[in-house]
Amino acid sequence: MLWYKSWLETRWRFLIGLVLLICSALSTVFTYPQVMKLLPMAQNLPVNGEIGRRIREAVELSRDFRGYVWSNWFRQNLSQTWTLFAVLIGTGGFLSHSSGGGTLFTLSMPVSRTRLLGVRSTMGLIELFTLAFVPSILIPLFSPAVGQHFAVGSVLIYSVCLFVAGSVFFSLAALLSTMFSDIWRPLLIALAIAIVLSIVEQISQISFGIFHVMHGESYFRTGALPWAGLLASAALSVALQYAAATNITRRDF
Amino acid sequence: MPDSIIETKDLHKVYDGVEALRGLDLSVPPGSIYGFLGRNGAGKTTTIKVLLGMSHPTSGQVRAFGLPAGSTEVRRRTGFVSEEKDLYDFMTVAEMIRFTAPFFPKWRADLEQRYLRKFELPADRKVKALSRGTRTKLALLLALCRGAELLILDEPTSGLDPAMAEEVLQALVAHVASEEMTVFFSSHQIAEVDQIADHVAIIDRGKTAVTGALDDLREKYQRVQMVFDGEAPQAQFRAPGVVRVQRKGRMLTVMASGGAEAIVDEATALHPVSVDVIPVTLKEIFLETVAAED
Repeated sequence: MLWYKSWLETRWRFLIGLVLLICSALSTVFTYPQVMKLLPMAQNLPVNGEIGRRIREAVELSRDFRGYVWSNWFRQNLSQTWTLFAVLIGTGGFLSHSSGGGTLFTLSMPVSRTRLLGVRSTMGLIELFTLAFVPSILIPLFSPAVGQHFAVGSVLIYSVCLFVAGSVFFSLAALLSTMFSDIWRPLLIALAIAIVLSIVEQISQISFGIFHVMHGESYFRTGALPWAGLLASAALSVALQYAAATNITRRDF
Repeated sequence: MPDSIIETKDLHKVYDGVEALRGLDLSVPPGSIYGFLGRNGAGKTTTIKVLLGMSHPTSGQVRAFGLPAGSTEVRRRTGFVSEEKDLYDFMTVAEMIRFTAPFFPKWRADLEQRYLRKFELPADRKVKALSRGTRTKLALLLALCRGAELLILDEPTSGLDPAMAEEVLQALVAHVASEEMTVFFSSHQIAEVDQIADHVAIIDRGKTAVTGALDDLREKYQRVQMVFDGEAPQAQFRAPGVVRVQRKGRMLTVMASGGAEAIVDEATALHPVSVDVIPVTLKEIFLETVAAED
């Protein structure tokens, strides 16, 4: 029944995220023919600096469908929206009044706090994997409709990269939720950290970093999985969950 | 079965530098209806939270059923209603029941049906849409149906109108009369403790001020009232059990927590016109005890 409660607590956040991402994935596929028509115009845009470089890179990548999907979907739309929902789903938990109250009622149940947190986190991770995989799998399914092809295996690899590395933001939000009883501070702090990291990675043009791992960039460019990044982010995520469990066990209500 | 269902010894709890409990000693006998009285902020809710493992004690001992308080086994055997009637707003009444029942192997489906009818709970209504009284009834149903041996209620009637409070108390009394269980309930409503409790503890500023069977307390606590011809004399009483001495005009009143005979003997030596020993109510015991602590 703890699973049921966790589902009820997070279902709207999850379902809204799923609908948004499905719409976004379908739009990515079905706008490809228009993008192809606009490519020659975009090539000659008089924009310099970092923005110009990125536009030119996106144009180059969009010359084939594989590059277009990776650049627009896995690197941009999916990654940004998914991170937002990872933080939203990670925020709250059984401490938060904004999760529907009932903190003392939950704590009066014959269940350890660690188990309560474990169930909540597992439910969140299942939802997040669904958010990473289900909208993405629509791309290979609908690609033939625009005369293109995208490999299902690649979808699985990009989804796993996004899920494993991005779960750090989910775990961070979960940890912050054990420190603050409102929903806003964990949400804002975790989002702020995600935005700052993203900006730092873009500006510094480093070839490593959590968002690079989330995008599966090394797999796209070289076919190699970012094992080190995946392992490091998984370890960080586990550490954050452990800290959340320790915090919740010690806390007075 | 242990001698005490709940036992605390020298229990201390400090929150952010504030001492909420300052050496609380309690012993709740099995089968009792134990009223836990105290002013707002006296430490009642803190004690309950420590008992259920929601807060950790700073020092001292606290056990329930002979087990460390706060263990999952203690919670499995305990029904609880919080002061805020803390439930899941996003669930319906039926969902709340479906959620709670599987945690308790001794869940009483028969009682669940009985109280659903008796309390007229709307199964399909969301908890957030329930009135305060209906919410209290649902919280009570969820606590009573656990098949618990111990029921812990934190201010069960707070925020209810007198009619609803009476209905809740009656339901509680009827339940305890038919089931073997111990009830530990906190309140600052002296009348309701007087109405249903057989044992009582009065706490003040985190310490036990008075504890015992209510009948024993009523027997022990007495007021010795002396009337003099003229102004009552300034008097010091050496007999044990003197809680408070009050002098007003021709009258001298001694509140005693025992040994009224010895006080009467001392009083007689002061040559009053009359000496009367008057029984006191729980309210008077409470007020005198808490006032004496001030």
